[in-house]
Amino acid sequence: MNRREAIQRTALALGYALSAPAMMGVLNGCKASPELSFKPVFFTEPQAQTIAELSEIILPKTTTPGAKDAGVPGFIDSMLKEVYGKEAQDKFIEGLNDFEEDAKKTLGDGFMDLKPEQRVAHFKKHHDEALAAAGKGGPTGWWNAGKDGDKPFVLKMKELTLLGFFTSQPGATEVLQYKQVPGPYHGCVPLAEVGKAWAT
Amino acid sequence: MNLNIDAQKQQTYDAIVVGTGISGGWAAKELTQKGLKTLVLERGRDVKHVVDYPTMTKDPWQLPHANKLTEEELKFYPVQSRTNWVSQANKHWWVKDTENPYTEVKPFDWIRGYHTGGRSIMWGKQTYRLSDLDFTANAKDGVGVDWPIRYADLAPWYDYVETFIGVSGRAEGLAHLPDGKFLPPMELNCVEETFRDKVAEKFNGRKITIGRVAHLTAPLPHDPSRGVCQSRNMCDRGCPYGAYFSSNASTLPAAAKTGNMTLKPNAIVHSIIYDEKKGKAIGVKVLDAETKQAVDYFARIIFLNASTLGSTFILMNSISNRFPNGLGNGSGELGHNIMDHQYRAGATALVEGYDDKYYVGRRPNGIYIPRFRNVGDDKRTDYLRGFGYQGAASRSEWQRGVREMAFGEDLKNSLMEPGGWSIGITGFGECLPSHSNHVTLNKDKTDIYGLPTLSFDAEWGPNEKAMRKDMKDSAAEMLEAAGFKNVATYDNPDNIGLGIHEMGTARMGKDPKTSVLNKWNAVHEAPNVFVTDGAAMTSSACQNPSLTYMALTARAADYAVNELKKGNL
Repeated sequence: MNRREAIQRTALALGYALSAPAMMGVLNGCKASPELSFKPVFFTEPQAQTIAELSEIILPKTTTPGAKDAGVPGFIDSMLKEVYGKEAQDKFIEGLNDFEEDAKKTLGDGFMDLKPEQRVAHFKKHHDEALAAAGKGGPTGWWNAGKDGDKPFVLKMKELTLLGFFTSQPGATEVLQYKQVPGPYHGCVPLAEVGKAWAT
Repeated sequence: MNLNIDAQKQQTYDAIVVGTGISGGWAAKELTQKGLKTLVLERGRDVKHVVDYPTMTKDPWQLPHANKLTEEELKFYPVQSRTNWVSQANKHWWVKDTENPYTEVKPFDWIRGYHTGGRSIMWGKQTYRLSDLDFTANAKDGVGVDWPIRYADLAPWYDYVETFIGVSGRAEGLAHLPDGKFLPPMELNCVEETFRDKVAEKFNGRKITIGRVAHLTAPLPHDPSRGVCQSRNMCDRGCPYGAYFSSNASTLPAAAKTGNMTLKPNAIVHSIIYDEKKGKAIGVKVLDAETKQAVDYFARIIFLNASTLGSTFILMNSISNRFPNGLGNGSGELGHNIMDHQYRAGATALVEGYDDKYYVGRRPNGIYIPRFRNVGDDKRTDYLRGFGYQGAASRSEWQRGVREMAFGEDLKNSLMEPGGWSIGITGFGECLPSHSNHVTLNKDKTDIYGLPTLSFDAEWGPNEKAMRKDMKDSAAEMLEAAGFKNVATYDNPDNIGLGIHEMGTARMGKDPKTSVLNKWNAVHEAPNVFVTDGAAMTSSACQNPSLTYMALTARAADYAVNELKKGNL
């Protein structure tokens, strides 16, 4: 029995028929809540679904694995529970709620109820605003977009996605390259001979 | 009665070494190889080379939480984590601060590792000689007391130690940073080569060299059990190849091979036993870390290598009628003149070009800029002594993606290419000895063994602060002169202690009235007790100090055994 049948049977059992538009609404909700590949320990199921979608928007599956393939949503869930302190957890959830509220306010629906292209646009709006507000940053790789606790939700999300992805086996070995035992160090080699960026 | 005598015999050795870290391992090796039955005491658990390195071959995805500690784990390490180095990969090497309390009258970062091998497992491996610029500095400046030795006293021992441990580096012919017995140098990368050439050109031959490090870049004929560095840069987990020097990989196996070593882990030294009638130290009182039982061990000579503050603690806690204020503390200098190296002040820059250049391997090393301040014709009016720089150039990697405007497929594609080059250097600055920088024994706060704890009262002085400003300015000046872009200075304040080069507190000197140790690292007032770790340092110089501790240890062990043979100890 698929979900459509299940809903129709339930409706019949309750003695009324669902109109076609109402039926679509229920089914859209269904489509928007795909099975999670992990059981969240920190987020609620709806929050975890948003986190999973955002990670995939940041690093999608292409010809190589994406964030979901690499287990990034579960990684973020675990990081929030185990590594983030109470204050940082609260701030993250607050940011996630604001992100959700803004979707409802400006687009009329919660993030997971939006069409895929609307989700990307909503992320992009917040992402671009956050980067613009953070300024250009310092000259080196340890630029932070504000101190750790101050980083806006979307950039925390981006940071966690990158961290989880490029320390995962698919991210490190299929998207970038990784050697546990590189052998003797060579300091000045043509990039063409090395190929892709090192994961570490 | 007879039972007691038998027990005492069983607990009697020719020598006792307290500590198994970088200097303790050397004391163990030298004394056992010279034929002394030696008891080697380690306060922490035992760690065997390779077999006790649980994370040494873990890939990034095999470490939980991207190698970060959890909130629960961090609670054990409030001090150790000030380094930002405590990770899933190495957490087992750091002391749990919750079990090892001390008092900070002023902030002091006391970073420790209690296990066989001590901090020789986690050290930075940078390996530099001191020179007469350093050994004469106190006398010349009228600061502290004069070193009782000169470079010529230590030079053959530097040779001896370097040959045994394996040090890679480049000979540069600098009198104030003497060349050693080097294995082949590691390579600079393309940007570092340019930096070296530009600085030499613009600053009248000022040197930039590859870091001199205790990593094997070629096999050691005398120690085939150690392999060549594979550029994994996972050293802090313990090296499966034994490619970097640690007590576990090098000196302790050499000591064990003699058959003369008894290594006893979980043995916390409470104090040195002083026999008033004989007028000498006769052994140590030890607490078993597991049972908390006290046992006495006896020997003709005692080497304290418990780390700078560990050794000083033992001397302070060794109270007798002869030494009511700590063994060998007639001068009142025991516990005083704490030093460290200040760092985390320097400059960074972006480097244009070199987009078609990259590197292979994770080099566990960087560049070194030997001291150029107050050397030769350079005379500063605002501070004494000087600093060296350590740093590196590298390309940015995936971490840069957070700040890039791209996301999605564009971001993924762009991160598959290495990003732009940047370069950063940090000064490592000398710290003057000051009597007011000191530790005291705190009997009001005891540890889980009932031992008193240490209370720290030390801070950076005006000389360090004036030097620190120049550490930033001179870094920026060189990066600018090299033509790099967006040059920016930085200053991340560090507490004293964070350099993890704590030195002094039982200084060497010529005069028993003003120093604790003589020119052979023996306690002036108890000459069969030797202290050959960082506690002995009379000044700090600006070079990473471990090599000097090793050389002092080998030299003192040679002297001690000769004196024993002559019947003088």
